[in-house]
Amino acid sequence: MNWLRKLASHRRVPVFPVLGMQGDEALRHLALSPDIELVDSPRHASVLLVAGEIPADRFESLRRVHDQLPSSFTTLWFRCEPSPHLESVTHIDDLDALPAALVTAYRELMEGRRESSPRILPDKPPNPWEGEGDFGQGGEGMMGGVPYGRPMAMNMEDDIRDGLTLDSLTFRLGPFFFAFPPGMAAEITLQGDLVQTWKTQLVAYPQSLDSVFFIARERPVPIAELELARARHHLHRLYRGLHLAGLESASLSALRLAQNLSTTSTLEGLRRYLSRSGFFRLAAIKGGVLGPDQARKLGGPAARAAGLDEDLRSGDAGYRRLGFSPVCQTGGDTCARWRQVLAEIDQSLQLARQAERDDVSTSEVDRIETPRGPWAEQRPEDASALLDEILPGQEWGDALATIASLDVAAVVESPLGTQTAGESPITNPLDKGVAGLSG
Amino acid sequence: MNLEELVLPVLMVFFMLAAGAYTVAVLDRVIAGALGTPQAGSVWIAPLARGAWLMTQHANATEAPDWRAWRLAPALYLSLAAIGLAVVPWSGSLVATDLATSVVLWGSVEALATVVIFLHGWSANTLFALIGGYRYVALGLSYILISMFVLIGVALPAESLQFTQVVASQGELWNLIRQPLGLPLFLIVGLGMTFWGPLNLADSADLAGGTAAEISGPPRLVWDVARAAMLVAFSGVATSAFLGGWLGPWLPGPLWVVIKMLAVLLVLLLLGRLLPRLAPERCVTLMWVVLLPLSFIDLVWAGVGALL
Repeated sequence: MNWLRKLASHRRVPVFPVLGMQGDEALRHLALSPDIELVDSPRHASVLLVAGEIPADRFESLRRVHDQLPSSFTTLWFRCEPSPHLESVTHIDDLDALPAALVTAYRELMEGRRESSPRILPDKPPNPWEGEGDFGQGGEGMMGGVPYGRPMAMNMEDDIRDGLTLDSLTFRLGPFFFAFPPGMAAEITLQGDLVQTWKTQLVAYPQSLDSVFFIARERPVPIAELELARARHHLHRLYRGLHLAGLESASLSALRLAQNLSTTSTLEGLRRYLSRSGFFRLAAIKGGVLGPDQARKLGGPAARAAGLDEDLRSGDAGYRRLGFSPVCQTGGDTCARWRQVLAEIDQSLQLARQAERDDVSTSEVDRIETPRGPWAEQRPEDASALLDEILPGQEWGDALATIASLDVAAVVESPLGTQTAGESPITNPLDKGVAGLSG
Repeated sequence: MNLEELVLPVLMVFFMLAAGAYTVAVLDRVIAGALGTPQAGSVWIAPLARGAWLMTQHANATEAPDWRAWRLAPALYLSLAAIGLAVVPWSGSLVATDLATSVVLWGSVEALATVVIFLHGWSANTLFALIGGYRYVALGLSYILISMFVLIGVALPAESLQFTQVVASQGELWNLIRQPLGLPLFLIVGLGMTFWGPLNLADSADLAGGTAAEISGPPRLVWDVARAAMLVAFSGVATSAFLGGWLGPWLPGPLWVVIKMLAVLLVLLLLGRLLPRLAPERCVTLMWVVLLPLSFIDLVWAGVGALL
């Protein structure tokens, strides 16, 4: 079997990323690496990557995900300290060395030079069998019981569909589900694939914006720099939205554009592709309409996609010099939000070009428009609760697309020391290189 | 006798299963690479390395799955793909099973695929796999209906339900031209039936892999090979039904079949990479409101053509 393992070691490394605080930077870096294949299910991976600090209240979920990887597998921790029970794993801090470290870990595993990670949890159901009858078929009307702690699929109580009676199924998802904002978990009841109820149980981690937005709160900054950072933020969101829609090559194009963004960049190619591929007509991006109050609560591009003409840049003398006026859509749904994101990227690139040419800086420091929304007296706060209101009634695919199109995570109070403009991390010189590896 | 009627056809089907699945894997990687997905190493080795990886990986368990059904479903789907490949004629005489009712047999493969795919999703006893199974069942009937109407259309001029006769009837004019609606309809249905690309709603990304979300190791390898082989079987049927099968000048018949099948595969795989995944509800509407009536028109067209 040795030759089989040797052959297997030549494949792209199948990695399941578990995202902690600020871990999405690693995700984007790996997505463009030819040696790494990011997978959406832990069952499809041989390497578990824990990227970013995991809060203690998510440890239990992490342990469960850890044990879902099929043997043999290994784990690697990036910019975080391994949690209890998982101390003896590889740890790395340097983003540039991460793909090589993953490849090394995988090859060692395949070639038998590294042992498979041990299971942490006992291999038994977390809850006892409490179904009615041998197969859970007992109880009234062939139903009943809570097998393994989960209520059985039952006839729905309220018909929110089309009269077709389907069983309701309640489950918990997150905080490491790839299509949720990192850190978010929810309890969901589905009828078939229609969302009946949605209760957000853990809100997404606060997101760190590019440091230029934090500097802009202290002193005037060049608008060109600010707008490029804004466009980059939106392109990162577009990457996740397009991946979910099944447009892998377009999602990677968005990521590449974000990586190499400059004032000479243009969105035209990507926009044309999205339009020709039928993304706006065929994909599951209908629904998720925000009412005016909901849109205002969320603010930013989502509000403007719902027709609210609100943008703090309008009040900035620097932006007024550039002739800025907010772009808006009218629909307020997922499709309108993606159109808005594209329009805002275009607008940001245009503003950046003008601002660079005329050397224009911001004038306001107390009231800035971040890509997440307005930051005046207080920074944009978490808006996950909105999902509980707008997701019920949507089909599963539409619901996930709605989540991808909404930037609900709060903004951190100050940038974490590991980030600077663009994606280049500030790291302690001592941490550089594969010396960051520890076994 | 045994050699000709049993051993050779079986060897032929096994060869097609392996070669077909490998070809699909290579072609799909080439297309993905051309469209900008980063690729490492050789595209020729990559599918083999992936296969070796799955062979060495453990087949995982879920909480209380229906073990027999769960392990059986990938093998059943592979068997269905093998049956599909067995009815594809390579020349007038070179065909694994030249049944008088091979078109009907292909129809039964499509119908049974619905059962097997649902079984695969349901037996894992997990959420996403189950939803993937539900989705396929919700759409499977529309695929089968459209496919059958279109195939009856090609059986009419041949006055036979045998694929070799269907090919022979295209001596003067391929069905691609004789029934212009047929192949486009059949290709769209093919993407649905093999749940590939824009119509991959059963094993889709929003379900983290759908019916295959919870499988690993050898069962996943069998499932992946079966899906690829089904795509090859489908392209073989499309080649026989619309592109004149082995008919063509200069080259030997089987070579023409290979070229035509590769062309169909290329189109399907390209569509798979270029188009976004359809919303399930829009897919239902597309099938029942647009494509099914079009398949009626195709059938009437074929009937009138056969009468004239």
